[in-house]
Amino acid sequence: MIIELGAFALILALVFSVLQTGLSAVGGARRSAVLAGAGRGAALATFLCVAVTFAALVHAFVTSDFSVANVAANSHTAKPMLFKVAGAWGSHEGSMLLWCLVLTGYGAAMAVFGASLPPRLRAYAVAVQGALGIMFLAYTVFASNPMIRLVDPPVEGRSLNPLLQDWALAVHPPFLYAGYVGFSVVYSLAMGALIEGRVDAAWARWVRPWTLAAWSLLTIGITLGAFWAYYELGWGGWWFWDPVENASFMPWLIGAALLHSAIVLEKRGALPGWTVFLGLAAFTFSMLGAFLVRSGVLTSVHAFAVDPTRGVLLLMMMGVAAGSGFLLFALRAPSLNSGGLFAPVSRESAIVLNNIVLSTATATVLLGTLYPLIREAIDGEAVSVGPPFFNLTFTPVMLLALAILPAGPLLAWKRGDAGAVMRRLWVALAAAAVLGLVTYGLIVPRKALASAGVALGFWLIGGALAELAERVKLLRVPLAQTWRRATGLPRGAWGTTLAHAGMGVFVLGASFETAWRVEQAQALSLGQSFRLGAYSLTLQDVGTVEGPNYLAERGKVAIVDQAGRLVCAARPERRFYPTGGQTTSEVHICPKGLDDLYIVLGERRAGEGGKPAWLVRAYVNPWVRLIFLGPLLMALGGAISLSDRRIRLGVGRRASETAA
Amino acid sequence: MLAFWISAAGLSAAAGALVLRSAAKSRLVVAPERDAQRRQLLEIERLAGQGLLDEAERQGARTEAARRLLASADHVEAWPSEGAGPRRIALLTAALAPIAALATYVAIGSPGMPDQPYAGRVAEWRATDPATLDPPRIAAVLASIAAERPTDPEPLKHLALARAASGDLPGAEQALRRAVRLAPGRVDLWTALGEVFVSEAQGEVGPDARLAFGEALKIDPAAPSPRYYLARSRIADGDVAGGLADWRALAADLPSDDQGREPLMREIATVEKAGGLPAPVAQPGETEQVQGMIAGMVEGLATRLKTAPDDPDGWVRLVRAYAVMGETAKLAAALAEASARFSGEPKVLAALRQAAQTPPQPKTGQQDGARP
Repeated sequence: MIIELGAFALILALVFSVLQTGLSAVGGARRSAVLAGAGRGAALATFLCVAVTFAALVHAFVTSDFSVANVAANSHTAKPMLFKVAGAWGSHEGSMLLWCLVLTGYGAAMAVFGASLPPRLRAYAVAVQGALGIMFLAYTVFASNPMIRLVDPPVEGRSLNPLLQDWALAVHPPFLYAGYVGFSVVYSLAMGALIEGRVDAAWARWVRPWTLAAWSLLTIGITLGAFWAYYELGWGGWWFWDPVENASFMPWLIGAALLHSAIVLEKRGALPGWTVFLGLAAFTFSMLGAFLVRSGVLTSVHAFAVDPTRGVLLLMMMGVAAGSGFLLFALRAPSLNSGGLFAPVSRESAIVLNNIVLSTATATVLLGTLYPLIREAIDGEAVSVGPPFFNLTFTPVMLLALAILPAGPLLAWKRGDAGAVMRRLWVALAAAAVLGLVTYGLIVPRKALASAGVALGFWLIGGALAELAERVKLLRVPLAQTWRRATGLPRGAWGTTLAHAGMGVFVLGASFETAWRVEQAQALSLGQSFRLGAYSLTLQDVGTVEGPNYLAERGKVAIVDQAGRLVCAARPERRFYPTGGQTTSEVHICPKGLDDLYIVLGERRAGEGGKPAWLVRAYVNPWVRLIFLGPLLMALGGAISLSDRRIRLGVGRRASETAA
Repeated sequence: MLAFWISAAGLSAAAGALVLRSAAKSRLVVAPERDAQRRQLLEIERLAGQGLLDEAERQGARTEAARRLLASADHVEAWPSEGAGPRRIALLTAALAPIAALATYVAIGSPGMPDQPYAGRVAEWRATDPATLDPPRIAAVLASIAAERPTDPEPLKHLALARAASGDLPGAEQALRRAVRLAPGRVDLWTALGEVFVSEAQGEVGPDARLAFGEALKIDPAAPSPRYYLARSRIADGDVAGGLADWRALAADLPSDDQGREPLMREIATVEKAGGLPAPVAQPGETEQVQGMIAGMVEGLATRLKTAPDDPDGWVRLVRAYAVMGETAKLAAALAEASARFSGEPKVLAALRQAAQTPPQPKTGQQDGARP
């Protein structure tokens, strides 16, 4: 009964999304508050129905109901409960349902929290959000239905890929989708504004919270994915320029550009066309990600099953959404007011430069991601575009953006004074340069580029702190006054400082880890050792353990420092999942301050004298924790900004303001 | 079924009510844009009051915001008051939506199909005569019994046998590992574990199997199966004379009417003649036995369907079994016969097509050699 109710609810959701679009559009066009209100009610109804379907699917996974084809293909009775639940979005069909849940959830949020929007803009935006719902729900119902039943259910399920049976990956997709699909609201608001023909400062104010929320959630989603890749795949790396990683990175870059251009539009009324363009582009890139993962054009650990038919359908959906958006933009753009003027040295100019650089970086990533696909489509030749391409193209472009970042917030709107800004930043600049030189002098082997990266990281952190110090007039007024100014600062300012400093923290970690990682691999019999930088590793024992749905060999690796002190008793595992016959490595990570000691147990082989030996790979990953801490600080900055009264819509207003 | 219709009606009513409630509560929001601009002006004054904006910045920002506030006055939206028409439209669409959804659901869904939670299916199989169940279902029943009796190795032993008969050798190994942990003094469990290791290694007596057989012999030095396999491993390692001596000793210890004695004598003669184990391994190992059992069961099902063909589930199982075994000719024949028989039942046809697309499995024992 529950499964079939879920199947019915999914179709009901599709019908109500048609109502959402129709009633809202007609309500907006005819200025009918009743129809527009009914459209908003339909948005809530759509979300309710998709939530029922999603709950039914999770129920099917939890009870191992293999009469549901999706459960039979992606679950198993022996799977731990967390992964049974996560299995609901571990497959193509289930993840599309999650996508629809988030999409309709945002539609419902717009209906509930959009009271401060102009009524027509609100009606059109809800209608466009409903139209996106129609496309994705129709695709899910007719081409990718997770509720399809089997007449003759198998006795057992085929289980989920063991690599995906991991807590980080269980929560990674919900965050990622909340980010990806969050840009749909920006898209809908952009479409609504283009239909109305008005893009102004007020519009930017309405767009900012949605952009901030989507970007912050996407940041967490990408970070969780990188963290998962780091400790689950057993390669020691955290970013591989995998096309699917790039697919999530492109909307993030565009979202970051949009966040900044929306500020210019809100504060100065400038860049309206560009901001709307970015609003359309952010969701287009999100859909591109969905297409790349599901179309079968990519082979990746992230990619779902190869299915060209579904890929063509998704490509058509992306074409319709992006095509109609950019067509409308082309028609309306000439009539958009170009907004306020500003001098070449001003905060607006700094943000424009930031936008140009971020867009160029996005184009670079897009080229590197799609070029192999285009080449293969044209002449059938398989080419691979990997880290060397991105290191030579993306990295220099981003370095430019990061180098100018600390100056931007210190420049005045309209007309800035570069000399004054440099006077405020020279301490941060000098400190960063000194720390970079110290790094170059002290860390062996000496690496100039990595040391420059470290200096850049400190420059970003120092610049963010200098800007904060400037705002609170640190050391220029009595401390009590500084404290008062700090407590009176808008949360958005704190969020900006945290996000910019978070970027610096990330750059520090990435520079350090990439340049000074120590790696060693050797086949060890019991009792044998090897050296790893300042540490010595000894394989003391290997035993067999049994998990809920796997058998494993678990090693006991003692790691001692140069003084002979035990710093870590690592227990890496090599797991075998009988269902599907797959083998995975369960890395053991010993945190040492900001560093990680990273131990992987490899396959068993014949060692010296016929004794069994195991391939043990080990890494010292210096400052690697900063790589994950930095983006989390950025996301936290976004969340703090989102809590700013000025940014929230229709909530948290002071009584005096409401009365005014 | 009734519960489904009541729930579907309830959900439809709740969704429709949301539309109607929202339509009924809708009211005009006058100039929220001006409100936003006004808030921005107030915010500028607040920040300036706290000394967070200097005078020049305050002036500039205030001028800008005031200009926008004036501009927004030109965009005040005037929405007319409405008659009953829009409300009727809202009511009509909210009522029609569930009907349209229901029609689509009946066309593409599976109305009336009950939930089939695993626990319920196992309970059903437990209540069924075991003779009518196939090995995977017997294994599922035994797994539930083993879970209820976590300290009893007996259900685990039978579970291992059922899993092996289903072709699930890693599952059999897992069950026996648990069994020997519960009863480390039972020679039959160690022996069975060793035999599963041998089956998984396609007849080769590897280190895990030797360990298991060694444990069995510690308990009962006369146990025939461990003695047989350990002798075999000696021959495989090059100690042909030692291995043959062990075999001969085993044959001498076996009762004359033991069914294994004759094949052992033949194998001794073969090894004596060849000077070692023939390659490929001629041992009638578990792998072949298990696969023989599976093939036998599938052919039994095929025979039963010949006499009682009106069994769609049976045909789907047969088609899937042939697909798994890679028996393409038999698969095509069974699929054609079943498709013709059930041509008027699209759901059975869909299930048959789905079963036919099941990828063939490697022969049991052909697992990843690098597994723990």
